[in-house]
Amino acid sequence: MTWRAAVLLLVGVPTLAFWPDPVRGVAVMTGAVLLLTAVDWALAAPLHTITVDREGDRAVRLGRSATVTLRLTNTSGRTLRAQVRDGWVPSAGARPDVPPGRVSRVGPGGVLVLPNRLTPTRRGDRPAVTVTVRSLGPLGLALRQRAGRPATPGWTLRVLPRFDSRRHLPEKLSRLRVIDGTQVARGRGQGTEFDTLREYVVGDDVRSIDWRASARRADVLVRTWRPERDRRLVCVLDTGRTSAVRVRDEPRLDTAIDAALLLTALASRAGDRVDLLAADAQIRTTVTGGSQPALLHRLVNALAPLHPALVETDFDLIVAEILRRHRRRSLVVLLTALEAGALAEGLLPVLPRLAARHRVIVAAAHDPVLTALTTTPPVRTGDAYAAAAGWRALAERDRVRAALGRYGVTVVDAPADRLAPALADTYLRLKALGQL
Amino acid sequence: MTRPATPTVDSPPPAPVRPPPAGPVRRRRRRHRVIVPLALAAVLLAGTVGAHALDQPDPTDPGFLSPVATDDDGGRRLADALRARGVTVDRETDLLPALLGLDRGPATLFVPAAELLHPDTLDTLGELPAGRRLVLVDPSRRVLESAGLPVVPTDRRWAARAVGPDTDGRPCPLPEASRAGVAAALLQRYAAAPGTAATLDRCYGDGLVRLPGRAEVVVIGASDPFRNDRIAEHGNETLGTGLLGVHGRVVWLDLDGPAPAPTVGRPDGTGEPAWSPAPGGSTGYGDGTGEQGPGGPGPATGGGDGRGDAPDSAGPPPPDDHPLLDAFPPWFWALLLQLALAALLTVLWRARRLGPPVTEPLPVEVRAAETALGRARLYQRARARGPAAEILRTAALGRLRGRLDLPATLAPAELAARVAGPAGGTPEQIHELLFGAAPGTDAELLELARSLDRLTRTVAAAPGRPTEGDPR
Repeated sequence: MTWRAAVLLLVGVPTLAFWPDPVRGVAVMTGAVLLLTAVDWALAAPLHTITVDREGDRAVRLGRSATVTLRLTNTSGRTLRAQVRDGWVPSAGARPDVPPGRVSRVGPGGVLVLPNRLTPTRRGDRPAVTVTVRSLGPLGLALRQRAGRPATPGWTLRVLPRFDSRRHLPEKLSRLRVIDGTQVARGRGQGTEFDTLREYVVGDDVRSIDWRASARRADVLVRTWRPERDRRLVCVLDTGRTSAVRVRDEPRLDTAIDAALLLTALASRAGDRVDLLAADAQIRTTVTGGSQPALLHRLVNALAPLHPALVETDFDLIVAEILRRHRRRSLVVLLTALEAGALAEGLLPVLPRLAARHRVIVAAAHDPVLTALTTTPPVRTGDAYAAAAGWRALAERDRVRAALGRYGVTVVDAPADRLAPALADTYLRLKALGQL
Repeated sequence: MTRPATPTVDSPPPAPVRPPPAGPVRRRRRRHRVIVPLALAAVLLAGTVGAHALDQPDPTDPGFLSPVATDDDGGRRLADALRARGVTVDRETDLLPALLGLDRGPATLFVPAAELLHPDTLDTLGELPAGRRLVLVDPSRRVLESAGLPVVPTDRRWAARAVGPDTDGRPCPLPEASRAGVAAALLQRYAAAPGTAATLDRCYGDGLVRLPGRAEVVVIGASDPFRNDRIAEHGNETLGTGLLGVHGRVVWLDLDGPAPAPTVGRPDGTGEPAWSPAPGGSTGYGDGTGEQGPGGPGPATGGGDGRGDAPDSAGPPPPDDHPLLDAFPPWFWALLLQLALAALLTVLWRARRLGPPVTEPLPVEVRAAETALGRARLYQRARARGPAAEILRTAALGRLRGRLDLPATLAPAELAARVAGPAGGTPEQIHELLFGAAPGTDAELLELARSLDRLTRTVAAAPGRPTEGDPR
């Protein structure tokens, strides 16, 4: 039943004054409209002859657009006049090229192609939920529509993290190359490994000259050094309640993912083996390092569906998992929040076990709101109280830092937009000093 | 604010929900400043109107000005007073017996609630036999028009007022009014209908008018001179008894509710009296003389019409014929039916949606610095000025120590002296600022926070020491 049936009845209304028996006129006209509608319904293309499938993008980076195309095949002998709605979850940001209300015509055996432009607003898996097809009759009076017919083809668009800190990667890589033994002047720290001998060129550090090797040959040879390779790096993402806090306009977890991606890209280029663990009260995801180019892709895919959970993080579980998996000394980067309650009661009791075997970095993005509370001059009474509360939170944070420092833990505490480069810098410094 | 994951419908992407900004208390108070007087005025107004409505007697109540009712708005005391003066009081509960009673001799017809009479019988009030008096209490414009009386109500007072019988300085022509003197008779003013040549005898500032004629008609707006609760005031009793007792007999029409439509007698005249007021005739009821022509003697011309109309307009309606059905042609009802069917089709069309709404769990969302802001509000609510000041001072000291490279063990007095140099104040002021008493009021706390902020900024901006770079 569509609006046309109602309009048809309305058109008949003015003629009622001229019927000998108006009530019978109403019955006749209503019966005629119902009959026409029934005929129209019978002539509409049947729904079970329609098959639907999809093709298009499987993954898209947050902030970009993807296109997923819905293909409607009409296998019946009748022309299909259809309104099609492709229902995605709201956060998928679906904008169909053909609006759902428009009637498309597909001849017998024809294929209707309905592209859908998706601009997701959130990271994670964005599924398509329902496809609804409404088959209209040739007169447009009646319609066929049934839930679950034709069956909805499943499709999930994986929205990958934005990875904004990619722009820092070239600079960090060039610094890595400086450390990496191409310039021998650097890198004579403790723990560096002997790499090769090569001929002296002007500008090399004279202290690097290997006199014994030079004596065996006619040239002056220098030793080249390089930092350790094949070290192990474990990124731990805390997805507990503290990661749900919105720092600027995204959850703290997204900042942590960004930093972890930059660190992974850098470390895998530096020849280190990177593992990743995301956990709150339970282990959410684990990625163990593989070959270099595939690792980042696998990591991005594994991190995309992560979401903060409103539970207290179980550091006991995390530490036990790290100790079980990594018996060799590794660099453990713990991306969490410097919050007194969560860390003092969860992490500090188990930290000695972890710090005894591994080198630990705790990285956290700090809250710009907290900084604003303590640095803006107070104007109203509430501001004075807010400043007091802010200073108290900062003092607690400093206490946590001090407590972590006592176990030899390096703390990286930076604003959200600088966390990724700051963490990369810390990594490079440790690498240059050979402390991995 | 922590919100659990809840399903959402197909809507624009969920934006972070921000609570309304703080400080609605003052705005609410400011709103109160407007609302409270207005509400008070509204309550007073409603109370006054309600009390007035309760106080005013309702003429359609059963027992209103009834000679047997002892309520406040009854007329028992008036009836007793009339009897005490030797006036006969005949109580009638229907118009027809009352009119028949008038035929027996000179009398006064007292109609306290003319509104209750059936509209078709009102015209008989204007055509009473000669030598009778009709007293109407607060008749409406409709009653006056239907009765054919050339009187219209003009302006109305809020409550009845006791006035003298004079009108515009002229004495009242009614002797009973002059006898009564001051009485509460001025509630509704009356005037002669425009376009008529009738002259009215006006009393009590137009609150009481007399229409002289064959049968004189007295119209009074206030019911106070007749009511049990007011009859003892002023000259009310004298006025009431005087108005009614002028002929020595009162026919008191006491209606309990709206009068039924008049019935018509059978044409052979053997049954009930025909409901046909005969103009001028003293025995014109139900005696079979209803056939006398419309040209019979009488001042009014409505009598014949009234009799001619009676069988058409007041006959019992056929039971299966609703008047509303006849009011419109059948195609109109068919049209309504078809419109309703079209509306039903529209409803069926709109009710079928193109697929269900899509739900999605919302992500967990925690606002930044939530605990710190919550703690700030707790401090403020608890008026924890002392602890807040302590935290602010400790933080400022920490910054100053870092800035000026002061040892942590420095005594307060010496620290104040060392800080006073770059800050540009006296050591006493600095000491008071950093180690003084806890603030007693919010204003003092705010002042302290400002001063500490200023102090640390001044020290930070002071030259002379190499500033450290970014610790990174």
